[in-house]
Amino acid sequence: MGTAERSKKKVLLYKKAIVHFLLCFVMGFFTGFAPTGKSSIFSTSPPVLLSNRSAFSPAQPGELLLEERTEESGKFNRKLDESEGENSSKEEEKEEDLIPRRLIILVTPTRMNDRLREVNLRRLSNTLRLVPPPFLWVVVEQKSDSSEVSEILRKTGIMYRHLVFRENFTDPEVEMDHQRNLALNHIEHHRLSGIVHFAGLSNVYDLQFFDEIRAIEVFGTWPMAIVSANGKKVIIEGPVCDSSEVVGWHLRKMNNLTETKSSPVHISSFAFNSSVLWDPERWGRLSSVQGTTQNTIKFVKKEVLEEETKLIGIPPEGCSKIMLWNVQIAPGTTPNST
Amino acid sequence: MKLSALHQSYLSRRANSFRASSSPLDPSSLDGGLKSIFWLVLHGLCCLVSLLLGFRFSRVVFFLLFSPSSTPPTALLHSTSPFRPASLPVQSLNTTVATPSSRVVVGRHGILIRPWPHPDPVEVMKAHRIIDRVQREQRVQYGVKTPRPVIAVTPTYVRTFQTLHLTGVMHSLMNVPYDLTWIVVEAGGTTNETAWLVARSGLRVVHVGFEEEMPVSWDDRHRLEARMRLRALRVVRELKLEGIVMFADDSNMHSMELFDEIQKVKWVGAVSVGILVHSGDPEEESSVAQKDDVENSPMPVQGPSCNSSDQLVGWHTFNSLPYEGKGAKSVGDVATVLPRKLEWAGFVLNSRLLWKENEGDKPEWVKDLDTVGGDAEDIETPLSLLKDPSVVEPLGSCGRKILLWWLRVEARADSKFPARWIIDTPMEVTVPSKRTPWPDAPPELPSNETTITTEENREKPGTKTRPRKSKRSSRSKKKRESSVVDTQVSARNSGEQ
Amino acid sequence: MKDWRWAFLGLVCFGLVLRIGAVERGRGQPTERISGSAGDVLEDDPVGRLKVFVYELPSKYNKKILQKDPRCLTHMFAAEIFMHRFLLSSPVRTLNPAEADWFYTPVYSTCDLTPNGLPLPFKSPRMMRSAIQLISSNWPYWNRTEGADHFFIVPHDFGACFHYLEEKAIERRILTLLQRATLVQTFGQKNHVCLKDGSITIPPYAPPQKMEAHLIPPHIPRSIFVYFRGLFYDVGNDPEGGYYARGARAAVWENFKDNPLFDISTEHPTTYYEDMQRAIFCLCPLGWAPWSPRLVEAVIFGCIPVIIADDIVLPFADAIPWEDIGVFVDEKDVPNLDTILTSIPPEVILRKQRLLANPSMKQAMLFPQPAQSGDAFHQILNGLARKLPHDKSVYLKAGEKVLNWTAGPVADLKPW
Repeated sequence: MGTAERSKKKVLLYKKAIVHFLLCFVMGFFTGFAPTGKSSIFSTSPPVLLSNRSAFSPAQPGELLLEERTEESGKFNRKLDESEGENSSKEEEKEEDLIPRRLIILVTPTRMNDRLREVNLRRLSNTLRLVPPPFLWVVVEQKSDSSEVSEILRKTGIMYRHLVFRENFTDPEVEMDHQRNLALNHIEHHRLSGIVHFAGLSNVYDLQFFDEIRAIEVFGTWPMAIVSANGKKVIIEGPVCDSSEVVGWHLRKMNNLTETKSSPVHISSFAFNSSVLWDPERWGRLSSVQGTTQNTIKFVKKEVLEEETKLIGIPPEGCSKIMLWNVQIAPGTTPNST
Repeated sequence: MKLSALHQSYLSRRANSFRASSSPLDPSSLDGGLKSIFWLVLHGLCCLVSLLLGFRFSRVVFFLLFSPSSTPPTALLHSTSPFRPASLPVQSLNTTVATPSSRVVVGRHGILIRPWPHPDPVEVMKAHRIIDRVQREQRVQYGVKTPRPVIAVTPTYVRTFQTLHLTGVMHSLMNVPYDLTWIVVEAGGTTNETAWLVARSGLRVVHVGFEEEMPVSWDDRHRLEARMRLRALRVVRELKLEGIVMFADDSNMHSMELFDEIQKVKWVGAVSVGILVHSGDPEEESSVAQKDDVENSPMPVQGPSCNSSDQLVGWHTFNSLPYEGKGAKSVGDVATVLPRKLEWAGFVLNSRLLWKENEGDKPEWVKDLDTVGGDAEDIETPLSLLKDPSVVEPLGSCGRKILLWWLRVEARADSKFPARWIIDTPMEVTVPSKRTPWPDAPPELPSNETTITTEENREKPGTKTRPRKSKRSSRSKKKRESSVVDTQVSARNSGEQ
Repeated sequence: MKDWRWAFLGLVCFGLVLRIGAVERGRGQPTERISGSAGDVLEDDPVGRLKVFVYELPSKYNKKILQKDPRCLTHMFAAEIFMHRFLLSSPVRTLNPAEADWFYTPVYSTCDLTPNGLPLPFKSPRMMRSAIQLISSNWPYWNRTEGADHFFIVPHDFGACFHYLEEKAIERRILTLLQRATLVQTFGQKNHVCLKDGSITIPPYAPPQKMEAHLIPPHIPRSIFVYFRGLFYDVGNDPEGGYYARGARAAVWENFKDNPLFDISTEHPTTYYEDMQRAIFCLCPLGWAPWSPRLVEAVIFGCIPVIIADDIVLPFADAIPWEDIGVFVDEKDVPNLDTILTSIPPEVILRKQRLLANPSMKQAMLFPQPAQSGDAFHQILNGLARKLPHDKSVYLKAGEKVLNWTAGPVADLKPW
């Protein structure tokens, strides 16, 4: 077919080509070992029949069906389908509804032998029902045979997570902290991002409160009023502010000196960004909560006081408005009728 | 399948190339430039094909190498979850076998994790709108079909607990999915404090003033409140409001089901009220041990009593006998505040009963509003409006379901609170720098002062004393002078507003 | 040449028009269903449309096995037992095999439980073979068609392949002796060797009484956007992830654990059934097999099933408009689940909910005791009735043999 020179040239050319092919082959070979799910691209079988699927499809444009055949998956691309519908309905939507707000996560521990638990739960839920979304209510309860709490919660229509624990406690304060820790662990485990606030069942809220705490970046605190039945005093707890800067604290009734030093902040008078729990780097801390201690609530309380530069007063105008009350009612004593 | 096709095309291409290459190499044929481009393309194609082949081959090798070892390595590992959909206890490891007949690959897949952050806040709002839409639809589908308007009557007066109680009732009413009018009757005349509070509800509010001041004695209070409610009923008559009249006292807590339940009433209905009594001693809260015995006693209930065939046979009334002599006489007594035998809150009325004109369907057994409620007369319950109490329709599964609760909690009559709950930090009370930042003296609300004294812990000693602060202190001084020592309605500092 | 091209183009256009027409019709139809039922098919009464002859087998093939382990009555595959009981007292049953349209062989092939309660079908092939040998030698009907007018209930994961591992099941393929029979199975994956053409896919067994006991009134507001309870990783059997559920469940967790709208967890609350009833979407991702009892639960509890299982064949797909009541998400689209779900127009969601509220749809998912009209038993019979009359080709010529009785793994050939 050709001269010796030509064949020599050809041999050289083939050698080069074969080396290239081999290289590519080896490359392909190793890519094959890479553990990906995408490898299925090369093992597709003929596209699946679409007809039985599309028979029930409510809003599938005809053209789309033809497109689907060329789809790698050979299946409906739902996204295309849905975005179509979205465009048409978008015009009707009031855009102001879609202004994003920050998530509020409310943590409410409940005590089993709290006589007012169910009633207070209903009253609080009536308030929380009015809080604009996004809003998540984490209610913690000790496991029991009674489904009352879940029934009350179910009827509220509020988005909630109902956490149940088994442990028994004798000290109600320890129990409350355990419940709060449980809720915080849930938030941490799920990496839920929002403003966390501990709402006791006996708290009463002004709705404005929930708008204000959404403004919190890291930590926020506010004054709250503690009122008691037949009491003469209204006790104000919380920060004293210069505009939104916290310059001091209202002091609570501290007869007990040991208690005095522990924490001047009532559990319900502060809120914090939940990412403090699971994203320590973001807030310039070295370790996560899990690393330091299992007692998350203790950690949070400590942080509130230590991180005063990140602590803002709520509402920002001098935090002088009370939007949260805590009602202290002694349990009813039914005199023995004998 | 696809692979073999590829392979074939590859082979044929090779064959082609062979043939094609022979002719361009002929000196008499096309020029070199075109030739080299063609070669390059061909070369690239072949490289690609060999890449694919290599990939494919590796899969085969992978399979051959690892699948023999994949025979059940961990026999009968029982999964702990109750939720395993399929009861496959064992799996083989690391096999990626392409099932020839299914498009879906059997074997390990990548776990797809998207790189962008989430959730998208706009999508969250969209989802909430969907939830809202679904809930509204549920109400349309399964709720009351032709709801009647609701007229809520609330007697109130300005005091420490007013904001709390009224806010609670207000939030309940704000959740009512029906057309609602709220008649607020205020003892001592309308005040800005109350008006400001109820205005924020966004509800249709009729704010009525009542000339008399709220007395301190509980008995007197009940009487006055009854007359205030009658005043509200006259408003209903005057404005000829259509709907269901309910008595939402600010000492009530409501289950939202109540508002659906009262839609069933024809003329007069009664629901059960759970009575929550409290000892009235604020100090008791601190001791926990004594709570067990409380748990055992059932909550007292007021309301209609039915027989087994759901006929109204009588009333559960509050038994105050055990409390004889122990009940609170006046506001602030450290004793249990007791309800009346039957509270107004347990009754609902069709507003047509109150209208002046006889619309034809107004029943005979109702007294005219003008004939009842004279100054001396004590209207204990709405039953006084009826000539025949047996016409009352028991609601809430014939009274078996408790849909609202009564809990009367008040601070002492002389307790003070900051006006509109805005703290005016009294700067004249300063913490001397020598003192410990956490003094053990409790900051209290002095009874002769209208503001709450607070002590300030100065984190930064020697902070700026601003002119603003001195202005404030002078203001609070003024306040102190103006406030009266023993008024029951205190802290609305009229001097300031 | 040119003419041909034009003709082809015309054909394509025609096809397109037809397609659109079909879609339009499909769109119009369901609106009728909302007011009435989920389609006439679901309310068909099988009585009078078919006759079933139930072979009488020694109790070692069924009752004895159940006696050994009563747990079979509550697990996901209990349909095989209840179907047998149902047929025995059903009016479609005939005692005269000569007039039967279908023959049923009551073998409880998934009732051989491990001590842990897992149904591992190791002995099932031999048991099935033994049963078929018995009926073919005692009655003439099997040999007439070699099983083409017989149906078998094989509810296990990979159905009639009789292995719990997918690879092994694929290797084994459908038991040779069952290759001409009609199979009633839970397993449903398109183009899978273990899913025979013409099989009837049924829902897994979910306890009807228990579910009914947890029903809550329909006005309870639905306040969960997306709900899921179950495993994301099967750490015991798939420590690295990606194998179990083809990685789809793991992807759900990794992408949406931090989304407050996604109420997802591995913990099983006591309010599981109630929570489903207050959720708008219920995730039904594949597990080891494409289906899970969640499908049934979602339909019963009116929660829109979000089906994440590529190529799944859904139960009674010819009678239940799954496309209308559910949302299908490709496994590869799991990371976009939130976008997909939030961009469904509310009207579409409400329509799906209205369809789900249809009682006949719920009925078709359940195996109640005693049977009720329109339940899953009846749907199976309806499915069988729709296959009638049998094609002439099912009947073999005298002496003709199609099935190879000695095919398959040697272990399967051992006597049972």
